[in-house]
Amino acid sequence: MWKSVFYKEWLKTRWFMVGYTLLGVLCIGYLFLTLKHSFAFTGGKNVWFTVLFQEQQFYSLLKYVPLAGGLTIAVAQYLPETINKRLKLTFHLPLTENKVLLQMQAFGAGCLLISFLMFGGLFTGFSLIYFPIQMVTNSVVTILPWLLAGFAAYFMIALIILEPNWIFRFCYTLIGVFFLTIYFNSAGATAYASANPVLFILTALLSVVFVFSAYRFRKGEV
Amino acid sequence: MNNVIECNNLTHYYGEKLVFENLNFQVKKGSILGLLGKNGTGKTTAFNILNGFLQPTGGQCLVFGEDTQHLSPQAKARIGFLIEGHIQYSFMNIQQIEKFYSGFYPKWKSAAYWELISKLNVSLTQKISTMSCGQRSQVALGLILAQDPDLLILDDFSMGLDPGYRRLFIDYLREYAKAENKTIFTTSHIIQDLERLIDDVLIIDYNKMLVQSPVAEFRSNFRRFDFELDNEATELKKEPFIMNIEKVKNKVELYTFSAESDVKKYLDDNKIVVSNFAQVRMELEDAFIGLTGKY
Repeated sequence: MWKSVFYKEWLKTRWFMVGYTLLGVLCIGYLFLTLKHSFAFTGGKNVWFTVLFQEQQFYSLLKYVPLAGGLTIAVAQYLPETINKRLKLTFHLPLTENKVLLQMQAFGAGCLLISFLMFGGLFTGFSLIYFPIQMVTNSVVTILPWLLAGFAAYFMIALIILEPNWIFRFCYTLIGVFFLTIYFNSAGATAYASANPVLFILTALLSVVFVFSAYRFRKGEV
Repeated sequence: MNNVIECNNLTHYYGEKLVFENLNFQVKKGSILGLLGKNGTGKTTAFNILNGFLQPTGGQCLVFGEDTQHLSPQAKARIGFLIEGHIQYSFMNIQQIEKFYSGFYPKWKSAAYWELISKLNVSLTQKISTMSCGQRSQVALGLILAQDPDLLILDDFSMGLDPGYRRLFIDYLREYAKAENKTIFTTSHIIQDLERLIDDVLIIDYNKMLVQSPVAEFRSNFRRFDFELDNEATELKKEPFIMNIEKVKNKVELYTFSAESDVKKYLDDNKIVVSNFAQVRMELEDAFIGLTGKY
């Protein structure tokens, strides 16, 4: 049955996934074209100097790309479920309600993970052409909270969209914005290195909160 | 188990507004029960409770012996549910939606779905969102028939359908239900449609149940008497045996479960002089309006 659930989620999100993946690849392509241009016109020494000693993040263009992915996939997946209260159809499927919800969530989070792994692979691969592995590792450590923010945004948007009451939605939005700013608080490279495990746990905890909105929907809260 | 649906002391409030109180009804296996009520009397509320989409303030509904607030996947597989307005996953096309649902139901009957779809002038890749309301109703019905459930819960199946599609829907449904001994619990705003379909009727009014009985029994027991008052100013006192009185100038319609002799005795006892007294035959819609009133 999970195959059928995944099939439905795929039908809802496929074009958004394709569009988002293209956007991510274009961003990474543009990033490294700019870097190549800098290496050619200002010289490798200057680029290394700005990255190493001035802590300039040559990858800052990617900062909000995972966030955009989380928002896009969540809206594509959950908005069609709330139009005309179609979530009733989903809850009427011969599965327990939480099981079908978690399968839907697993699909969305899985899509994000695949796209982030792809972006991460491209980023790491291209970075290794220009920088040594220590510098690339630092970049990945810096990017990690942004990737986690993508997942957090996905989980929070699911919570907000499935919530049947507009006042609750507004409150969740405020809480969501507060949570997401935690992932973007520091601009310094590797500043989050020690906080990353905490952010990971926080994100993992957020992954189940949408079940509460769905529970309220099922109980007929308005 | 003779009753497929059993609701006991069902009570629901929206905030402080009482929708119904201590509502009790049953749907027998193999029967087709129509729920009738004016707007706002709680028909959709009852359907939502039956499907576990709303927690009642009090009481309990059982479907296949299970509390509807905690229906098992096995019980849900035995229930075909049509949401008001024939809502379906409109981002799918008719091929995709059949493929999607077929993965959930072991008894899935593709042929039943495709037989109904073949009557529509649509391509296999046409999205449901681009179909007319009538075409969407056939897709929704086809999916339910393919699911082959033991119980069909249909919330306002005639909404938005033209007369042809309504007739097609009803004829298909009734033939299917009777041939396969299926149970149906349904509602519709178009009572003539329901009359073609249902065996039993459940009529609810604000806060309470008025009638649950076989349609034929209700139509023969519930009577309408028309007469003209000699004096237009005569006040007609409402007694317990009178269900409703509609008075326009000197013309009166009196609705009751009692016999003609009781009505005549009432008129005589109250010294009400009337002319053109007659019992009028009613269709189900007339009887429903007579029982619940026009307003």
